This record gives sequence, C-alpha cells and structure tokens, in this order.
Amino acid sequence: MYRGREGQWAYLLHRVSGIAIALYLLLHVFDISLVMWGPDGPFNRFLLFYHQWPFRIGLVLIIAGVVYHALNGLRIMILDFSQWGIKYQRGMWYGVLIVTTAIGIPVLFKIIPEIVGGGA
Amino acid sequence: MATDTRTGPVTRPRTLRDARATYHTNSELAWWVFMRISGFVLIFLVFAHIFANNIATNAGTIDYEYVAQRLAQPAVRVMDSFLLGLALLHGMNGLRYSIDDYFKRPQVRFWVKVVVFTLAAGIFVVGVMALWTFTFDEMGEAVRNLGQ
Repeated sequence: MYRGREGQWAYLLHRVSGIAIALYLLLHVFDISLVMWGPDGPFNRFLLFYHQWPFRIGLVLIIAGVVYHALNGLRIMILDFSQWGIKYQRGMWYGVLIVTTAIGIPVLFKIIPEIVGGGA
Repeated sequence: MATDTRTGPVTRPRTLRDARATYHTNSELAWWVFMRISGFVLIFLVFAHIFANNIATNAGTIDYEYVAQRLAQPAVRVMDSFLLGLALLHGMNGLRYSIDDYFKRPQVRFWVKVVVFTLAAGIFVVGVMALWTFTFDEMGEAVRNLGQ
C-alpha cells in the first residue's frame, strides 16, 4: 500500500477479489463438470460436501467479491474512456461501495436463512 | 499470449529496429482492451448466472438433477459457454498480471505460469466437455458419429 488513499484500497480490493474469483472459477468448473459421471457418480457427494455452512459462507463472500469487482470494473472503464472520470474517481469508489452494500444486504437476507435453516 | 520481455527471447535485440520487431507487438494493448470488453459483457453474464443459481434457487439444494435439467437447455449451454470462455480468459489474464507482480524470479514466475495455465487449459477442456456432452455416454455417441 502506498499511503493508502481510496484509489489504493480500490485497487487492493479489486486485486484480492479478482484472484479469489479466478481460483473459485477453476474449482467451480471442475466440480460442476462431475455431472459427466452421471447421477450415481461423484457429483452429489461433492455438492453435499460444499453445502456445509463454511463453504456456503465462502460462496457468499465470492458473490460479494463479484459484485464489487463488477462495479469497480465499471468505474475503471469510466476512468479509462471518459474525459471526466479521473476527477470523480474517489466519489465513484464510495459509490461502488454503497451500491455493493445495497445489493449485498437483500442477498444476505435471502441466503443467510438458507444456511442457518440448514438448507438441504 | 504475450511475449514476456523477461522470460521471452533468449537473444537480446541489439538495435532499435530489432527491439521494435521483438517487443512492439500490440498484444498487451489487445489484452488491455479485452479486459474491458470482456469485463463489461461478464457483468451481465455473471449476474444472470448468480441470480439463477443463488437467488432464484436455494444454492444449498442444488444437486445432480438440477444441473442436469439446466444443461439440457440449449440456451443455458450457449450462455454458459460464453461465460466459461470469457471468464477463464479474463480471470487467467488477471492472474497473469498478479503473477508478474508477486513472483520476481524469472524461473519461479515461469513455472507458476506453466502450472496455472496448464490447469486452466485442462479445466476449459473439461468444462466444454461437460457443457456439450453432459454424460460420457453421450460423448461416446458424439465421437462415434464423427467417424461416420
């Protein structure tokens, strides 16, 4: 971190969420691909394993990371392609955080009861 | 794939002319543009994907039956194929930037990339197989049909 102002935090969160999403993507494609072994294959056993609460909390964090990464990505595109973007980059980052939270709260209300309630 | 100026050509360019010919590929510019275009498209694809499987569905109830039903729909296959291709390219290029930032020794950097990209290529192949054949039986059928 270089004197940690907003732009630095925006970059750090973008980097951390991006790496997390990329690694999750590899795992996700692999485990969904287990459907190829058919209904009696390893697929259901794998998914039951992932339905345990620590992994579901992890998935919520990945979703939060995706929302942040998407919105901050839009911010980056505006910075790159508009004449006025740089001037408002700090405000736009707070906007990104606010919208991420605004999307995140209803998502939490939807998913947390599923986890606490035991889900499947 | 970009020519990494640190791990790329063994013989160093000796003139400006050589250097231009060696390094002035526009691949980094192309990746830069790609990250923005793919990023924009991915926002819609990924949000739709998450909405379908985490909001409209209780992700804790997803099982073989659910995925089989989804993959039986041609629209899901097409959408997920774009998702797979764009997300992997976007994600792996992002990892490449990160690897270049955090692994300074050329030897280590090279092998980390070999491992990550080999893994990603394997995952891509497996993903395409799952999306377009779905079961090994169907894949066997598809391969047999190719021979005729």
